[in-house]
Amino acid sequence: MEHMGIEPGRIQFSWISSAEATKFVDVVNKVTDAIKELGPNRSFVKPETKVA
Amino acid sequence: MSEYTESIREIAKRLLETCSVEMIIGFRKGTVPMMNEPHVIRNARDTGDLVWDSNCGINLANYLTDRKENIGILAKGCDSRNIVTHILENKIKREQLVIIGVPCKGMIDKRKITRMFNGEILEVLEDNGQILIRGNGFDTRLDKADVLQENCALCTHRNPVIYDELAAELVGEQEDIDRYEDVRKLEAMTTEEKWAYFDDLLKECIRCYACKNACPLCYCPTCFVDESKPQWVGKSQDAIDIRTFHFLRAFHCAGRCTDCGACQRACPVGINMRVFTKKLEKDCLDLFDWEAGMSLESRPPLDVYRPDDPDKFIK
Amino acid sequence: MPIVKFEKQNWETGLNKLRRAYRLCGPVEDKGFHYFKDLGEAELPDFGCLNTRLSAKGIVYPQSEDMFEYSLDETLDDHHVMKDVQKDYSPRIVLGIRPCDAKAVKLVKLNFDTADYKDPYWLRAWEATTFVGLACDNPCSACFCTTAGCGPYHEEGLDVLLVDNDDHYMARVLTEKGIRFIETAGWDTTGVDGASLIEERRAAAEAKIVSHVSTDRLRGADTMTLHAAGIWEDISFSCINCGTCTFVCPTCWCFDIQDEVHGKQGKRTRNWDSCMFPIFTVHTTGHNPRGSQLQRVRQRFMHKLKYFVDKYDQGIMCVGCGRCVSQCPVNIDIRRVCELMNDLPAPDACAAQE
Repeated sequence: MEHMGIEPGRIQFSWISSAEATKFVDVVNKVTDAIKELGPNRSFVKPETKVA
Repeated sequence: MSEYTESIREIAKRLLETCSVEMIIGFRKGTVPMMNEPHVIRNARDTGDLVWDSNCGINLANYLTDRKENIGILAKGCDSRNIVTHILENKIKREQLVIIGVPCKGMIDKRKITRMFNGEILEVLEDNGQILIRGNGFDTRLDKADVLQENCALCTHRNPVIYDELAAELVGEQEDIDRYEDVRKLEAMTTEEKWAYFDDLLKECIRCYACKNACPLCYCPTCFVDESKPQWVGKSQDAIDIRTFHFLRAFHCAGRCTDCGACQRACPVGINMRVFTKKLEKDCLDLFDWEAGMSLESRPPLDVYRPDDPDKFIK
Repeated sequence: MPIVKFEKQNWETGLNKLRRAYRLCGPVEDKGFHYFKDLGEAELPDFGCLNTRLSAKGIVYPQSEDMFEYSLDETLDDHHVMKDVQKDYSPRIVLGIRPCDAKAVKLVKLNFDTADYKDPYWLRAWEATTFVGLACDNPCSACFCTTAGCGPYHEEGLDVLLVDNDDHYMARVLTEKGIRFIETAGWDTTGVDGASLIEERRAAAEAKIVSHVSTDRLRGADTMTLHAAGIWEDISFSCINCGTCTFVCPTCWCFDIQDEVHGKQGKRTRNWDSCMFPIFTVHTTGHNPRGSQLQRVRQRFMHKLKYFVDKYDQGIMCVGCGRCVSQCPVNIDIRRVCELMNDLPAPDACAAQE
């Protein structure tokens, strides 16, 4: 996704077991903070169809 | 490569006469310059229709999907790698196939050649590494090496990787090729430059889906673009929908694409959508040391588990 | 019909006057191919182009076109009410449309303008448009217009036919719209007796058409015999079922209607569709009456070369522009298919012998 012009950091992957509650909370907090810092996605979004 | 035609016809005739196969999938001569048509021969007396030259760029593995017959099929290097992928993905059985390997010296880029001349091109012939072009107001020779399709110029697997018959002696492979200069250029761009690059790249797309339909990897019974419940992607000429289509199509080819160039060749408006798939191809090579379709013995990186998987992108 | 001539050196001045009263569009080059596009302020149409990549049909019939908009917000009085989308239907001129594309517009009109149904979007766009054709002196080798009911100097569907003649254009003015075009441009025109010259040029251009189809037996052929003929497997084998032929074709008119809702705002849009796509005929039950590639390929050619011929009695639904021939990724050639269909013996011929 970054290769075609999505800001680095907007896409994140994590591997969390159902037993790792603490890691889950930690990751969600970190991702939320990181994405809030990036702000809303303004490029790869379609607020309405733009055609003729 | 037109010198291959005779031996291809002989092999095809023999295979049909001895009932080794029920049909031969190859090419017949096109009705316009720089085009040949994928063609099926079922009778030994028709094998004279088969031709081979530098206009056989369509990937014939595309015509094997889910076929039940015993088939003789012509295969360039890239076709053979896609046949391997088809066998690995259970789209055809190895026992059904007699693969007629065609050591390939590259296909010519009809768009590049068309753009070199102002008038219409009426006839294109080839002669020993030279391409003879006759048109309105010109009659000239070009070195074939100068007008190859880009993927052919960068090809490092010209010989078929799997075959039962050979139409000619194996050719020397190109070495010291830098396959990914274009990808590295893109990787070096800023986020905004990348976005603008792909916007411009896809501007002319008319969503005819020739790229995905010419691709042997695209064989889903219903493509995601045709799903309506749920509908994954809008159907209009909206730029975001167009980008979504191209981007998802490319991802479906990750670890499977052989850079045969059929998609780019098929595109009626000349989009080089290979820049999507080449990035994935480069990643597969860098991360997994993987080139698609090289052997029936190894599974593709996306359907195996390896404890030493370099999963650096997962936190 | 009056013929006038004006100097090419005044072409640009005239276009600039026209720009004040009309939106202009014409062929322009983009990444090596020509397309019909709205012309920018000082932009000129490129009359040197052989043929545009896509036909001119998109001018009155865009590939994607908004029809209605609506709101799902129930606090509004007019929620769930379909409202027309405001569109620009001000006068427009297409410069340099080829006679084949103009004839095709006329064929497409048969579908959008019938006694029972009048398509408001297509018709309003068509009414707003003046078609200024450019006679075709250098037809391509894949062009077969003269045997497809058309020709390089064909006038159907045009308001003006321009003929390029050295330092000036000869203009055959065909309609009221055409007269307004010439008057608004304010060219210093002189009426000429150019009929014989144009006739000569027409004959010369037609003689350059090297490719032909035979269509004489299509009308009389038995539909079911054609449908059941053994030719289709061979014809359809290489087809990859992309939409290239239908999208580049000037006479293909099928569309698909889509609703898209974003938040509470919705739009109803129509998009070109293609009989080559599997989803084209899928029923809500999941059944697809044209589920195989062979059936879809047969449908395209049967529609163009048989059903249309029978239904409208206006020849084939093809103007011989050659685009599908030269752009098909796998070289399926309608000229070859047409010959195969035309050559099928009529069943009655055999029956009569018995």
